[in-house]
Amino acid sequence: MAPTCPHTGLFCRLSLSLSLFHHPLCCSHSSNPLICLNPHTMASNHLNGDSHILHHPKKPKLSSTSTSLITPSEIQSEFCHHDPSVARINNGSFGSCPTSVIKAQQVLQLEFLRQPDHFYFNCLKEGILKSRTVIKQLINARHVDEVSIVDNATTAAAIVLQRIAWAFAEGRFDKGDVAIMLHYAYGAVKKSVEAYVTRAGGCVIEVQMPFPVNSNDEIIHEFRKALERGKENGRKIRLAVIDHITSMPCVVIPVKELVKICREEGVDQVFVDAAHAIGCTDVDMQDIAADFYTSNLHKWFFCPPSIAFLYSRSSPKCLDLHHPVVSHEYGNGLAMESAWIGTRDYSAQLVVPKVLDFVNRFEGGIEGIKKMNHDNAVEMGQMLAKAWGTNLGCPPEMCASMIMVGLPASLAISSDSDTLKLRAHLRENFGVEVPLYYRAPKDGEVGVITGYARISYQVYNKFEDYTKFRDAINKLVCDGFSCNLLSI
Amino acid sequence: MDKEEDPRNGVGNGTTTKKPRLSGFITDSEVQSEFSHHEAGVARINNGSFGCCPGSVLAAQRSWQLCFLQQPDHFYFSVLRPNLLRSRALVQTLINADHIDEVSLVDNATTAAAIVLQQIGRRFSHHQNDAVVMFSCAFPAVKKSIQAYVTHAGGSVIEVDLPFPVKSNTEVITEFRKGLSKAKSGGRKVRLAIIDHITSMPSVLIPVRELVKICREEGVDQVFVDAAHAIGSVPVDVQQIGADFYVSNLYKWFFAPPSVAFLYCRRSNASSSEIHHPVVSHEYGNGLPIESSWIGTRDYTPQLVVPAITDFVNRFEGGSEGIMRRNHVQVLKMGKMLAEAWGTSLGSPPEMCASMVMVGLPSKLCISSDDDAMRLRSHLREKYGVEVPIYYRAPKNGEGECEPKDKDGLITGYARISHQVYNRIDDYFKFRDAINRIVLEEDLY
Repeated sequence: MAPTCPHTGLFCRLSLSLSLFHHPLCCSHSSNPLICLNPHTMASNHLNGDSHILHHPKKPKLSSTSTSLITPSEIQSEFCHHDPSVARINNGSFGSCPTSVIKAQQVLQLEFLRQPDHFYFNCLKEGILKSRTVIKQLINARHVDEVSIVDNATTAAAIVLQRIAWAFAEGRFDKGDVAIMLHYAYGAVKKSVEAYVTRAGGCVIEVQMPFPVNSNDEIIHEFRKALERGKENGRKIRLAVIDHITSMPCVVIPVKELVKICREEGVDQVFVDAAHAIGCTDVDMQDIAADFYTSNLHKWFFCPPSIAFLYSRSSPKCLDLHHPVVSHEYGNGLAMESAWIGTRDYSAQLVVPKVLDFVNRFEGGIEGIKKMNHDNAVEMGQMLAKAWGTNLGCPPEMCASMIMVGLPASLAISSDSDTLKLRAHLRENFGVEVPLYYRAPKDGEVGVITGYARISYQVYNKFEDYTKFRDAINKLVCDGFSCNLLSI
Repeated sequence: MDKEEDPRNGVGNGTTTKKPRLSGFITDSEVQSEFSHHEAGVARINNGSFGCCPGSVLAAQRSWQLCFLQQPDHFYFSVLRPNLLRSRALVQTLINADHIDEVSLVDNATTAAAIVLQQIGRRFSHHQNDAVVMFSCAFPAVKKSIQAYVTHAGGSVIEVDLPFPVKSNTEVITEFRKGLSKAKSGGRKVRLAIIDHITSMPSVLIPVRELVKICREEGVDQVFVDAAHAIGSVPVDVQQIGADFYVSNLYKWFFAPPSVAFLYCRRSNASSSEIHHPVVSHEYGNGLPIESSWIGTRDYTPQLVVPAITDFVNRFEGGSEGIMRRNHVQVLKMGKMLAEAWGTSLGSPPEMCASMVMVGLPSKLCISSDDDAMRLRSHLREKYGVEVPIYYRAPKNGEGECEPKDKDGLITGYARISHQVYNRIDDYFKFRDAINRIVLEEDLY
């Protein structure tokens, strides 16, 4: 009997078993744009273990730290406020927050309500600084001055782009200067680019991206092409907005390489929108070396809604960043400005040290969690793809704790609105929460998969969540369900 | 959870349920219980800064928060928007707005200022020689916002002095007319006038309706009323006031948790389609109320509890109007008591204050700078358990008849005392005695 996962005891990591090499995902001959799995990559990423173990009591590890490791039942207890009737496989959208962190947040909220003046004068600033310091260490920033806390990546985008708009308005940028972003950039960020760049006279170029995608090279190739277009007619590329992990469809982008290419090609500044990254993939500011980098802590880092950090490198170009909500601290640097934007509930920004406590109850801390989430997401994705006879949207090394799984073609997903309706149908009639993506067929493609589910794996997930989803789709297929049948 | 307490079960429209419950109005001890989370032993006479929130509204907020945490996707797709709409509808009725599209919910007045000023600033880049008029005692954050969005875009800023202490509305109106003339001199166009409904420091109730009329007569493009303190403090009728933009914080005097404010934008205002929330998200271009209803994942629960708040205020005799009336009477009574006890005077006449009043502090305290005022405030908090903001009023050139004095010299410091439903007379006695001790014992601060 293979060992159970020592952290969750619930089910195990991916096995090195032979079954994987005979997986339909392995390179073969169908007309689907299949993913080639690199068995060596798999081998190095996964531990031995049987892949379909259900509940097992956790065997305590015989180490001096074992008594402080969180147990499976403690994990379930930490997330007992989650609706138990829902297979919650969409951690990516709104994240999750354990009870112990919520409780810590409530203590802070109460402290403010008790005596708000004392809180404002004596507690708030130092609390925010503590959180910023923790984040600085997590992301390997050089100085805490480089780290500001804001509500979310959407706010961070507004901050970075507003600066661009001023530069156009003040004539420092020429009309027609370029901003580059991925075609799969987050919808809200695209609107922000429209509001702050296009409206100010800038030109926006989108990097086309293949999906399903087979390798980083495909992305790098498209990125270079877009840069060339941007530089046509002697235009200057003022900003590149690059996702670290795209939202829909979800793929981990080789940001480090793309940032390097930007430097080589003379792009003024690079802004990495890494909304999902922290707690999901590796986040190292020295390694990635972008000018601006933002990530939400309420998605994969167990914070309550909402909190994100915006990192900006301490170079002269970055001194002119301002929070759009101007208050007393205007001109004292973005970190100070963001720490007071009028009376509000700042408690979500103050619990970061407590979150670190929570994360360190897991073996390997956040690194251990990331690895476990990745392995399980991949395993579950492969299980689903096999069950449905479909494919994954990218190879395992291009995903973190989310993965795109093809849905059976018989469901006839043929528009964005189909995906919303089917998603609602799954929520209301099957108790499954999972976002769906419509992948339009390209010219000449026949019989391709047009729908993908973005499944997430976070510490509270169980094997049953995914079998519930598997069975729901199987039932729909069996019943001859088609999106054409959904009412408008 | 108890069905009766579940805010999502819906209760009547706040304004129609003013009939007393069978058990009568809220009792004194029930009020104390609603605010039992306030720190005991602190004379909390500064409701103006951060407001307050009763236990029953906090409980309603918690249940919304739990709803999100339980199943956030369901919350986002099915719960959030209809309930934001419900809150906005209640606010619309409260402020007598013509149409619900005129009502947006934002975090606070500071955010509203950024929204209005960004829009003004965008127009400035095309025109030169434009001006903005504001009071010199405008809230510091708003002044910075003007610097960021108006000055930065090339506009001039003209400040109107607020006479303080003030004796009548006429004094304010006269100063305002002077300020407008100065702004228009040299052929400048006044693009925006920012008028406080209730100034922060020093706190005075301004005759906004008259000032807005004057702005229209004088051809001011747009009028923005910063009424951060107003709702729950004075009756608010945006049609009567007639401004283009009007903002008030609900968490100051209207019992909301931190934080939520409404921004009213008149539909007839030509620029209403150009007004945007600076944090741009999916709803960009769908109008400010809709843009503000989604600015990325956040805790929107303070914006959802407006129905719970109207339930709360309607437990009081006379509802919100009754609360406002009693706060006004009490704060004046307490202000007079203090002024008599210290031999000083109030900063404004009764009709120029709402639920806050400025009380002169003994000249013997020798407050001679903003720093002194801040230090005295900390001293009162730490040594005497009194929370009250202190204002430094610099003497004007040439001590004249008009300078405020007590028997020992010039009055240079004022305390801004608030009265809210949880306050007790002992809070003010505590403050009275603290100041008397500081003066008597020459207690350095």
